[in-house]
Amino acid sequence: MADTNTIIGDTILVQGNLQGDEDLTVQGRIEGTVNLSKTLIIEQNGIVKADVEISNAVISGVMVGNLTASDSVEITETGRMLGDIRSPRIMIVEGALFKGNVDMGDLEMPRPESTSSSAASDRRPAYTPRPLSRPEPKATPPSPSRPVARPAPAPAPAPAPMRVEKKVVSAEKPRPAKKKVVVKKRRH
Amino acid sequence: MANVIGSSIVIDGEITGDEDLVIQGTVKGKITLKESLYVEESGEVEADIETKNVEVSGSVTGNIRASDKVELKQEGRMVGDIKAPRILIADGATFKGNVDMDR
Repeated sequence: MADTNTIIGDTILVQGNLQGDEDLTVQGRIEGTVNLSKTLIIEQNGIVKADVEISNAVISGVMVGNLTASDSVEITETGRMLGDIRSPRIMIVEGALFKGNVDMGDLEMPRPESTSSSAASDRRPAYTPRPLSRPEPKATPPSPSRPVARPAPAPAPAPAPMRVEKKVVSAEKPRPAKKKVVVKKRRH
Repeated sequence: MANVIGSSIVIDGEITGDEDLVIQGTVKGKITLKESLYVEESGEVEADIETKNVEVSGSVTGNIRASDKVELKQEGRMVGDIKAPRILIADGATFKGNVDMDR
């Protein structure tokens, strides 16, 4: 009996505080606060509008609110999240929608995954046509003449200017990236 | 059963829904369902309950209003008023409160 997970079925609405020491699967709706020492699973039709403190979270449905996870957070391709995430491990899969801040805590710890994830984020400014809007082609005047030879020109410049560029991109237009994701999702 | 509030779960607030609900944990507040509520032996409910059926094997403190039936099982403990057309209290159950079988 104690092993059974708690399931909030799809017509159930819980309003208030929920706390516990077992896995919680949400197919319905929770509004309020959630405190769990295990895993919160928001299924595709599940909606959680709550401040959540938890060990692990897997979001395939809708999550609105701030999420603090001591272990990991995963937003799957059907997941939509609005709010801030604090967790040492955060996975956002392609197709997922997310708006909010991410705090992974101490970044001093050596992390082998961080190289691959930063490489992934370097790709984004590459295929958003941001350089066109920039009036100063100071650093890379000859690059347009030979773009075919290197499909990933991102690693070539020093890391410091890249970061600046990234910030500019995200500050100017955070929306185009999201729209792309939405379009992808509607194709399904 | 689709909906289970597990034994370590504590909910403080309101639960509403259209399907059966099994409570093994603790719920405080209010429960409104269109179907049946099962309070199992480990379940503790401190809430006003409005459902079709209620089956109490655990502990309920609060008032129950059921459109069909309330059943207090042998292990069940209940403090509060019950209003339902059919009310069953098994041998061994403890109950303190008012009973109203008017329709």
